[in-house]
Amino acid sequence: MAPRPCAVLGIGQTKYKRRRDDVTLDGLVREATLRALEDAGATFDDIDAIVIGKAPDALEGVMMPLLSLCDALGAIGKPIHRVHTAGSVGASTSISAVNLVESGMYDTVLTVAYEKQSEGNATWALSGGKSGGQGAGGTFAPWIRNYIARSKAPEHIGWMVAVKDRLNALKNEYAHLHLPDISIEKVRESPMLWDPLHFLESCPSSDGAAAMVLGNDDIARKSGRPPAWVISHAKRTEFGQFPGRDTVRPQAGVECSEALYRKVGITNPREQIDCAELYVPFSWYEPMWLEGHLIAEEGEGWKMTDAGDTELGGSFPVNMSGGVLSSNPIGASGMIRCLEAANQVRGTAGEYQVPGAKISIGHAYGGAAQYYAMWMVSSELNPVF
Amino acid sequence: MPQLHDVDYTLEYPYTRTTGPVIGPFLTGLRDGRILGQRCGHRVLCPPMEFDPDTFATLEPDLVEVGPGGEVENWTWVGEPSAKHPFDRPFGFAFIKLDGADTALVHAVDTGGDPEAMSTGMRVQAQFRSERHGSIADVYFVPEADAAEQMIEPGDEPVTITEHLIGLRINEPLHPHRARFAQGLLDGKIIGQRSPVTGKVYVPGRGYDNMSRVLMSEADEVEVSNVGTVVAFTELNPVQYYGQTETEPYVRCSILFDGTDQPVIGIDIRDMTVDEMRVGMRLRCIWRDPEDRSVTDIDNRYGNIPETVYARFKPTGEPDVPADELKEHSW
Amino acid sequence: MVSLAEDVAIVAFAQTASHAHFNDSEPAMIMPCVNSVIEQVGMDRHDIDFTIAGSCDYLSGMPFAFVMNIDAVGAWPPVYESHVEMDGAWALFEGFVRLQSGDIDTVLVSGSGKCSPGSYREGFSLQTDPYVHAPIGLDPRTQAGFQAQALIAAGKATERDFAEVVARSHANAKANPYAQLSGDRSVDDLLAEPYVQQPLRRLDCPPTSDGAAAMVIARADKARELSDNPVWIRAVDHRIESHHPTLRDLTDSPSVRIAAERVGLHDGPVDIAELTVTYSPEEIILRDALGLNGDTAVNPSGGPLTGSPFMAVGLTRVIELARAIANGDGRRGVAHASSGPALQQNLLCVLEGDG
Repeated sequence: MAPRPCAVLGIGQTKYKRRRDDVTLDGLVREATLRALEDAGATFDDIDAIVIGKAPDALEGVMMPLLSLCDALGAIGKPIHRVHTAGSVGASTSISAVNLVESGMYDTVLTVAYEKQSEGNATWALSGGKSGGQGAGGTFAPWIRNYIARSKAPEHIGWMVAVKDRLNALKNEYAHLHLPDISIEKVRESPMLWDPLHFLESCPSSDGAAAMVLGNDDIARKSGRPPAWVISHAKRTEFGQFPGRDTVRPQAGVECSEALYRKVGITNPREQIDCAELYVPFSWYEPMWLEGHLIAEEGEGWKMTDAGDTELGGSFPVNMSGGVLSSNPIGASGMIRCLEAANQVRGTAGEYQVPGAKISIGHAYGGAAQYYAMWMVSSELNPVF
Repeated sequence: MPQLHDVDYTLEYPYTRTTGPVIGPFLTGLRDGRILGQRCGHRVLCPPMEFDPDTFATLEPDLVEVGPGGEVENWTWVGEPSAKHPFDRPFGFAFIKLDGADTALVHAVDTGGDPEAMSTGMRVQAQFRSERHGSIADVYFVPEADAAEQMIEPGDEPVTITEHLIGLRINEPLHPHRARFAQGLLDGKIIGQRSPVTGKVYVPGRGYDNMSRVLMSEADEVEVSNVGTVVAFTELNPVQYYGQTETEPYVRCSILFDGTDQPVIGIDIRDMTVDEMRVGMRLRCIWRDPEDRSVTDIDNRYGNIPETVYARFKPTGEPDVPADELKEHSW
Repeated sequence: MVSLAEDVAIVAFAQTASHAHFNDSEPAMIMPCVNSVIEQVGMDRHDIDFTIAGSCDYLSGMPFAFVMNIDAVGAWPPVYESHVEMDGAWALFEGFVRLQSGDIDTVLVSGSGKCSPGSYREGFSLQTDPYVHAPIGLDPRTQAGFQAQALIAAGKATERDFAEVVARSHANAKANPYAQLSGDRSVDDLLAEPYVQQPLRRLDCPPTSDGAAAMVIARADKARELSDNPVWIRAVDHRIESHHPTLRDLTDSPSVRIAAERVGLHDGPVDIAELTVTYSPEEIILRDALGLNGDTAVNPSGGPLTGSPFMAVGLTRVIELARAIANGDGRRGVAHASSGPALQQNLLCVLEGDG
């Protein structure tokens, strides 16, 4: 049997903030969930199964929180399960939910991802609760330096990404950071956190939740909502450390995108895909992923950024919503990439809509750049490439 | 096998919880000596919920006082309280349907340690602790006859955020290969494990070679050189999270020891600045005097070569190894 | 019963003994299981299409602990892989669902957990509602105590019934080389023991255990190619109940009733039931909700009362059932996994022998 077609029929997001001091964990996930249901024209009764995702439980100090959130998610009497694949989890969760629909076993699936980082401390958690932790930036900085050395990219590329994503975020009411006076100078003058990464080249720590209602082709037809068809998805994982590992261009990332494109016959992603939401928590990962996911040739990714191709209005817009650099509730960040890609092909991206976008990708990575999850969405069920 | 310390730490953080429109007033009430329930149609829910538990529809905050008396609907006796329980002597946990509420609250009943005093249908009454922070633990219950009259001084501001020190103690022996590695450091030796499949040498060994999925044992262990090459480094400005003891920026580097195939990551370099560091630089581990060496920071997951065993990493003066020769070891 | 697009079978399985303390890392515990199932199917590891694991960071003692576990399942060259923060039985659920799409053939499933370094009772209290339960340390044993008391109050069971469950489980475990506890215990002796959580006694509760389990499942054609004796997974379903124990009828399991209906449990004979009976009263509730009668052998392995490596224990139930069916001890049966306090969430998996 072929996989049952699956479409995104409803999208919900919370406002992302440093601290959502007005809600409980229940309230946070319900805010996104109720918006997704409303957007899909659905109610809790329509949901056949739920998939929930978030990063480590120690970020909020609640163990296996689906158990305490299931009432808030209307899951009583239903299947609900929890995905955890580090930073990639939001996208992995989205893909797990697609699997449920594609299996033919569940017609309508709710998927929710969240993080309430203000309850704990992400650097503490990344350090295993120990003093002297390296954190994400400390881990990635040497690899970024290697990318710069390998690609001969000029230092302003990182600053450009930092500015571009924050300008995009001004068009997104849900984005955490709204920095209207962001500029290359401000980024360059902001404190150096981990050479070469400045403060303004790094993601914030956010509270927030994201949710989607997915349905099969029958449900999509009945709903009357604009569908974003999930025409391809892929995941790949590799070890974090081993002799011969390429940390600049990890093989798992390359193979993940190859699998994503192969499934639908994409041979020239740069031309055949209209825009992308890539997981860029540190500015330099934009060019690194353009190359690492085969959108640009090796050594050419930074030239796309430099030429303005990745701007909203450029030839290959990246992170139209403002990206992880503007909002980062870790466990939800990957799902936000997926649902923002869906927003583009549904034509529901508002002020940051790429005109006429038909094909878009959502992407996340996690761990020591070792977990990859990607999906491709289309305004048509069977696009021809 | 060497007998070293046991691993004993608490994975612990002072979490903060924002309490929202329903739980917030409930916790404020507890701090002020009152128990509140949330109206839900004709019912009153206590503990209060933000939504109807049957239809999942959001409820407008509408809190009403319940209790302080109530009836036990179900109970169980805790003969051996845990560190997380509200009493350190035996007590009962009970389902308590407070007067005026339609659902029951799970809470602790103090009968002075007597399980015979517990029964289904018994009447209990809320007692408030003298120190209250806006927590479910501000209150507990006693048999109605034992209840004391309390004068509770209400607080000022509503409770919108609460703090919870949440932890889990981890206590176990060092795994055998970790103990041998740690003992090696005490002896001034760096012990690695050589894969019986690929011949590659890993420091510290993990007790297996993940590339070949083969377990490794003492027979696979080798002493490696204390001279190596810097393959990566980073300067850290320590984030001041709970439990962080670092305050000043410092350098962490990854060193590929001669004869090994994977760098040791996270080595603390205190006597060099980041400007003095270069990828390819050759360094030698200068051990501390044996009596000054300590490996207590090594547990079963964290701690590679801790700074408590070496005095410094000293440049050997050899020419740097060209970066492209280190491409395979960028972490 | 839900109609399925693809027939799926278990073609290989392995488990560790249930250890009171496994003195090495979690990956070192999982790796022999993974190697065993790969050897059983005779495949190159990288020809297995999808890999999925279940584990819990908190049990493992650190955030991101599951990342280290990929050392055991193999991830170089890169693999198509995922992870659920749940018992491995839910990894099996996702693997089973994934195969229904019909575009891949094989899934490597694993589950693992080490309870011994932490306090399971204190640790699992972090599963409860963070506002009204966790701050008073409401733990799973307490919730099991409520469930036991509710059964007694409703006249559905007595303490003697609980002791009988314990005695039979320990006696059955004598034949199970993986069991941690076993032996002949008289009901009267068990009833003479003191309470640890009235009305529960020590052996009404599970031991502290470390362990791992793994299996390979495959679509029909591949399954026949890989195994001479595949055990067919006829259905998997799981359901959850309210987190608030006071909103539930603790003497019943409506979630199990829904799941039993969905998996078509009584569309055929139920020869064997391997149930996640973490506390002895749960068996009484599960038997009732599953509609089991005297024709079904319940927990011939001894069940979790004789070894309960959380996060592997549910997947181990599926393995114990698969082994019994493969050995011809029965033709059709049900495996049950549970998550959360007092049977809050339940998974059923119906297995059937070949031919």
